[in-house]
Amino acid sequence: MRSGRKARAAGFDRRLPHVGNSLRSARSPDLSEFFNPVLLYGGCALGALGIALALPRRGVSPQVLGAIVAAIGLGAMFLGLGVATPDGARPRVMFYIFAVIALGASLRVISHPRPVYAALYFILTILASSGLYLLLSAEFMAFALIIVYAGAILITYLFVIMLATETPVESELEALAEYDRYSREPIAATVAGFILIAALSTLLARGVGELPPPRAGSPDVARIADLPGKVERILRDSETITGSQRIVRDAEGKPAIDLSEGTALVAAPGGEPHAVRLPGDLVLTNTEGVGFSLLVDHPGSIEIAGVILLMAMLGAVVLARKKVELDERARARQLAAQRAAAEGVSL
Amino acid sequence: MTDLALAIAQADFPLPMPGATLYHYLLVSALMFAIGVIGFVSRRNLIIMFLCTELMFQAAGIALIAFSRFHLNHTGETFVIFVLTVAAAEAALALALVVLLFRRKETLDASSWAELKG
Repeated sequence: MRSGRKARAAGFDRRLPHVGNSLRSARSPDLSEFFNPVLLYGGCALGALGIALALPRRGVSPQVLGAIVAAIGLGAMFLGLGVATPDGARPRVMFYIFAVIALGASLRVISHPRPVYAALYFILTILASSGLYLLLSAEFMAFALIIVYAGAILITYLFVIMLATETPVESELEALAEYDRYSREPIAATVAGFILIAALSTLLARGVGELPPPRAGSPDVARIADLPGKVERILRDSETITGSQRIVRDAEGKPAIDLSEGTALVAAPGGEPHAVRLPGDLVLTNTEGVGFSLLVDHPGSIEIAGVILLMAMLGAVVLARKKVELDERARARQLAAQRAAAEGVSL
Repeated sequence: MTDLALAIAQADFPLPMPGATLYHYLLVSALMFAIGVIGFVSRRNLIIMFLCTELMFQAAGIALIAFSRFHLNHTGETFVIFVLTVAAAEAALALALVVLLFRRKETLDASSWAELKG
């Protein structure tokens, strides 16, 4: 099995003769050789124990102890990966910082008894994962995530938490609802969750090793040819062309930018076109790349997303307009509260 | 964008990302997804259950972005935009439902709606 995988990897190298030596050393390593099963599965079990301890439950619930045990367990999982990692294949320190914050905060989301704090910890998870997005060079999505999630969705959650809380009785302002104090089947849930983790990490270790090696080169550089405005701006900033000169377009409106030659045809209004050399470091920024991918490759999906949002808005309006009747128990509780209030006044 | 954020984002880019590093990101994503599953199954408050589904969306987003960086194309990032859209739609509908259910029974306990089953 293992030798077969190696032969396949060697086949990839043969098929890509232009890939240099530096790249070949960075090719995906056979991950089953570098991860340490004792640390990985031991950390998995320890993490499960910690999360089971951290969930709120009847009787004693040692949340701090649980969090510490879970941290040790999850840390062991990552250490199990780092120990035998081939040179240069380890993520940067920032990765560990953001990952610890994201996972710790998401553990707190499911273990904090008060919903408001759970929502605030979820915002922390969002901030940390947008840090991970930045490490993955996805700047646009990192900031869109903060704006959409932390700025919009979570505020909706906070509003609903404020709308949907029982009016506290004055004597027990700090009391929590019964359903917030105890979780349901914490041990069974955690065991199921970590069986999922063990299976997923095993499959990942196999599958990632079999992925084709990544190719070098900036993504979609060819699309620079569709951005005459950007090229003009860069040429103008480097004073290669004057303010009135524009990039020539052919009869179909396609700008005359030749990336393989590294030249572009420019002309002043009414003047003769001539070729200028493009600067060597033309790159497509992340936002431009995402824009091209969204609008050129997936135009249909945008339409569908628009329909989904419209339907959600209509549905929310219809749901919110509906007049609700209290069921018997809630009505009885309300009547009792009114009667108690009236008696309090008469006394 | 601040210079620091740009420096963090553009370090090592557009060099290819080694598979071992991809595995680290995927492990974070898998762990976050499992934490979301555990929370969804074990917590009883409806609002926290929906927060846990958002955690699972978030985990899927990290995996998509990591693959997008590994293969050096932007399709994964584009799909995270659609994940955000679906999450926003889901949040609006689910929270409207939660408010409706709360007004009827004055409790957020998921098991108080057990008679809906069947």
